[in-house]
Amino acid sequence: MTDNSLEIRALHFSGVASRLRRLDASLLLWLALIAVLAFLILNPVLRLIISSLQQTDTGHFTLANYRSAYGNIRHLQSLLNSLELGVGVALLATCFGVPIAWAISRTDMPCKAFIRLMVFAAFVTPPYLGAIGWILLAGPNSGWLNKVWMALTGAGHGIFNIYSMTGLILVIAVTSFPYTFVFTSSALDLVSSEMEDAANILGARTLRTTLRITLPLVTPAIIGGIIISFLEAIALFGAPALIALPARFNVVSTQLWQFFEYPVRVEEAAAYAMPLLAITVLMFWIQRRILGRRGYTSVTGKGGERRMIALGAWRWAMLAYALLVCALSVFLPMLVLIQAAFAKAWGRGFSLDNLTLHNFYYLLFEQTQAKQTIVNTFVYSGVTAFAAISLTLAIAYVVNRKLVPFSNVLAFLCMAPFVVPGIVLAIGFYAAYAPPPLALYGTATILILGFTTRFLPIAYTSSAAGLRSINPEMEEAVRILGGSRLLAIRKVLIPLLKKSLAGAWILVFIPATRELSSAIFLVGPNTRVISVMLFDLSEEGNFEVLAALGVILLVATVAIAAIGSKVIGRDFMLRRNS
Amino acid sequence: MSRLKLSGVSKRYGDFLAVDNIDLELQSGEFVSLLGPSGCGKTTTLRMIAGFIDPTLGTIEMDGQILSSPSGSVPPDRRQMSMIFQSYAIWPNMTVEQNVAFGLELRKIARAEVRRRVGEMLEVVHMSHLADRYPAELSGGQQQRVALARAIVIRPSVLLLDEPLSNLDATLREEMRFEIRRLHDEFHVTTVYVTHDQAEAMVTSDRIAVMNGGRIEQVDAPRALYDKPKTRFVAGFIGRTNFIEGTSDGRQIAFDGFALPHAGFERDVPAGGKAVFSVRPHSMRLSEAPPTANNGCAAVGVVIMERAFLGEHWDYVVKPRESAMTLRVTTSPMDDFPVGASAWLEFEPRQMALIA
Amino acid sequence: MFPIQRRNFIIGGSALLMLGSSRKARAQPAPSMTPHETELFEAAKKEGGELTWYTAQSDDITAQALGRSFEQLYPGIKVNVLRTTAQVAYQRVTQEIKASAIQCDVLSSTDLGHYVALKAIGALEKYVPDNSSKVLDIYKNYDPDGFYFVNSAGMIGIGYNTAKVKEADAPKNWTDLLDPKWKDNIALGHPGFSGYVGTWALTLRNQYGWDFFEKLAKNNPRVGRSINDTVTMLNAGESAIAGSGPVGTVLESMQKGNPLAMVYPTDGTVLIIASSGIMKGCKHPNAARLYMEFLLSPGASQIWVDHFNETIRPEVSVPKGAKSAKDLKVIRPTVEQITKGVPEVIKQWRETFGV
Repeated sequence: MTDNSLEIRALHFSGVASRLRRLDASLLLWLALIAVLAFLILNPVLRLIISSLQQTDTGHFTLANYRSAYGNIRHLQSLLNSLELGVGVALLATCFGVPIAWAISRTDMPCKAFIRLMVFAAFVTPPYLGAIGWILLAGPNSGWLNKVWMALTGAGHGIFNIYSMTGLILVIAVTSFPYTFVFTSSALDLVSSEMEDAANILGARTLRTTLRITLPLVTPAIIGGIIISFLEAIALFGAPALIALPARFNVVSTQLWQFFEYPVRVEEAAAYAMPLLAITVLMFWIQRRILGRRGYTSVTGKGGERRMIALGAWRWAMLAYALLVCALSVFLPMLVLIQAAFAKAWGRGFSLDNLTLHNFYYLLFEQTQAKQTIVNTFVYSGVTAFAAISLTLAIAYVVNRKLVPFSNVLAFLCMAPFVVPGIVLAIGFYAAYAPPPLALYGTATILILGFTTRFLPIAYTSSAAGLRSINPEMEEAVRILGGSRLLAIRKVLIPLLKKSLAGAWILVFIPATRELSSAIFLVGPNTRVISVMLFDLSEEGNFEVLAALGVILLVATVAIAAIGSKVIGRDFMLRRNS
Repeated sequence: MSRLKLSGVSKRYGDFLAVDNIDLELQSGEFVSLLGPSGCGKTTTLRMIAGFIDPTLGTIEMDGQILSSPSGSVPPDRRQMSMIFQSYAIWPNMTVEQNVAFGLELRKIARAEVRRRVGEMLEVVHMSHLADRYPAELSGGQQQRVALARAIVIRPSVLLLDEPLSNLDATLREEMRFEIRRLHDEFHVTTVYVTHDQAEAMVTSDRIAVMNGGRIEQVDAPRALYDKPKTRFVAGFIGRTNFIEGTSDGRQIAFDGFALPHAGFERDVPAGGKAVFSVRPHSMRLSEAPPTANNGCAAVGVVIMERAFLGEHWDYVVKPRESAMTLRVTTSPMDDFPVGASAWLEFEPRQMALIA
Repeated sequence: MFPIQRRNFIIGGSALLMLGSSRKARAQPAPSMTPHETELFEAAKKEGGELTWYTAQSDDITAQALGRSFEQLYPGIKVNVLRTTAQVAYQRVTQEIKASAIQCDVLSSTDLGHYVALKAIGALEKYVPDNSSKVLDIYKNYDPDGFYFVNSAGMIGIGYNTAKVKEADAPKNWTDLLDPKWKDNIALGHPGFSGYVGTWALTLRNQYGWDFFEKLAKNNPRVGRSINDTVTMLNAGESAIAGSGPVGTVLESMQKGNPLAMVYPTDGTVLIIASSGIMKGCKHPNAARLYMEFLLSPGASQIWVDHFNETIRPEVSVPKGAKSAKDLKVIRPTVEQITKGVPEVIKQWRETFGV
């Protein structure tokens, strides 16, 4: 009797065991990925929220942080300033990016390749470097543009004052518009010309068709671009520090910096940062409401041919506009930066006796940290890109193939850092991981982790898009012939995804090299990156060396991206093969 | 005066001649199809009529006014035409009502009037109850109706359709064929319809222009095209057929393995030389016993080579006993001849079309 | 011309050494190391041969020069020079203390209040350098307990751009800055970033009351961050007057060929005393001690003088024609005033100037 029941129990148990084993593997996977994401995202954000409610030394629950953070009229003013900045940048970046995107994607405007290159150059330029360039251009008394104006008109002072809210909006918008451009043009590439033909033949001419049909069709992309520009603008630290402070106003990011002066008031900083989180969530909710039930993609999927609209004489007008935007974002700032980089004293102007290579020399051979800083920047950015892509590819795979239940939670967590402005994320990371037990303060690790988290959303979007384009039947073919899933991934999926992954890598690498807002809180003396060094140099007004370092950064980044593009074989800026 | 007139229209792309010397006239209210295989130039021709492409040679006139010529064209937005696209091109970010109202609003018609006309049109296409829906919420057939409504509501001079039914499944296609014809009849719109499906063309059109390799091979009413095809291509494209070649000697025409006397033929058959005929599968009859010789038909003894039962008819492949050629024959479902059996095949010379 | 040649020689010479890409082995060790220094040197090499130095006392070029000089004298020890403004340096140090991850070995801030505060929480290590008894008397004994020592001094006056302002019209005293004719043309630093500016503002508050700044704000000055920002503004021609003009930087800029001039106000030039201390629990304590010796040595003072700053050693004298603290009327606050006053001044500044 004992034997029988034992047998029965053994059979029963083995059935449960095998089910448990299957459950185990996927459960383990889910737990592992969740743990990583919790470490990167949930913990810092939660620590931030908790900190905001804690008293500094005792840790008791208190609302005092919110009171002191918002009881001060100046703090509130900073918040309003940030909102004004965000809205201004979003609108201006849209004005810059959308017309150019339309011109390139749908018309026969000439010199498209050149304009695209310039947009890319704007993308690679960090906002704070652009700010320096614009200070040299439009400082009210000393800026080149003002000097030219004064010489031409004999006026006593210039007409451009970069030290103003308008100046700050311009400076940030010219480096943000590549986002609106890329979003809009990749969406426009998908609009079939038949949509426009249909309006055409009913009697609408080019302008009316564009405004009533073409652009409304890509509303989601345009709104996406607006939101990103807005979020970038309110989260930036470098450009506001350079321009807003002398202009005598603060924004949230520079205000947060003050909370980190002695004594360090992380808790108050956290409380002050909460509205940024709230604003971001609000933006996405608004986006959802605006887009609503309407569809935006052509529902039949057939007839998707795209023809260029012939603009006639207007193509020159469009080109002129595009060149104007390029001048504001690339030509003018680059010109002055290069002049300063090769100058003994930039204020002395374009004279032969002012030319020197000393600034570069100083950086590469005399300044003891510059070389290490340069190496740090590219190494950290590279590692960040690898880490972000690997992690998000794994998660995208799990989500796309629905390997575990509730896989959407993983996807949501990957996109969540989007909602947290970089500077806030850095504070959260600092609060969570800088002190013991992990004691990651000043290590390369905390910097790389912070960056990885910051760029997870971009990495995930790229990985997921790449995966969606691969038919799962490719792997199924391997498995039905006897290969394991891992083999299928290794031998089929990864090779197919190579180009798309390389493109995603660059999309993370480049913003990582120019990232300042989160770096400034996470660097230690040995882990300085170029962005922080540029910021420190700007404090002592050494514009010549600063410009030289900026030029090194740009040249190296462009070189790496160019090599990358050749390897990928196509434009990684989300352009279809057109 | 004809409504729409194409004279000597050609379109060249580099070395490639897409459209070669097209002449076509449409009367007001006529429904003409451009029928042909892919690459025959029908869509290019349509787009030239619409004004999206300029002709390399020739002119397109409407009501006597020149619309397109190699030296310049009236742009599409000023031609007072309408077009239905293969992808329907319904704007997904606008409701059905907004889509249909677009053309009217462009003509600066008062809002109340716009609403009235849109409402009427939606009634006609049976879409009133869906006026507030977005295209993503509609089925393929419903979207097609929206496209039609949008195109017709502005009372265009010419309505152009570019393979509008190719995205629909078979049943829906049949339904929509009638729908398109019905709308045409109700509004008397001059229509040019491009398709590769001969059944569609046959059902909807007053006349069909069969195109091949950039040229029009024959323009005729559907019946005439079917019964009296002028070229081999047309005969083979419209319906199925058998081509048989024979030599005439004045009294009879000798085919491979059998001969048919001159007398029965309706058309003028050449007194001598070669003659090619198109013989439709259903214009011949199969019988067990040899037919009586007094009804003007000629008969040949055949052997059944293959057969297939298709429910509505039998498809036979038969071979005349002294011949090397095979012929396709269609019979009613009742005529059941097993493979290998012998039978008699009766020709009706009146139904044989001389094509060369 | 003499200081310029000297400076270029130092830079050029060390550059030649740098080209070899090796900081070790080429240079000769200090000509005469005391036994104490030798002992520290050996111990420092065993520690790992590295030193991290946070400094706000000079611009990057001077700081680099000091670091490299040390490396030449004591080959085998690499100096990580991190130059920032005083408040930023202090912020990083306090972050490190809070995170229990001390990265800084030697802190050279320009705000004496920092040291008082750090000493109070036990974050400094006690070490009395041998050289501390050999400096000029006015710089001795600021901390009798031996946690921090004055190693550099600088002066703040009024600078102006000679291309825009004639000598006769230039301000002669601090109160002249309130003249409406200088509206929109004055550049200042920010006490929230710069220790120099903090002490300067405190000194003037002591002298004239905070009212002075209320009136100064009406002239709409351009507020930067570091005290050196003001010289940048002058060089660029953006501002005509550097209201808080660092003497060293102005003189250096003049030597580069920029059209600047220095005014030593009649009520007194502000003297900034800056000290250095070793962080408790730092990673390289012996290297830190050796560095403290170096900072108080004649060699370091020579480098300061070469960069137009003050010397703290009697052996080293400023170049002919340059004015030193002992030649001028100077004003400065006491240590207690600095400790309490600078945070106050920062707050008041924010209220008055809006940032």
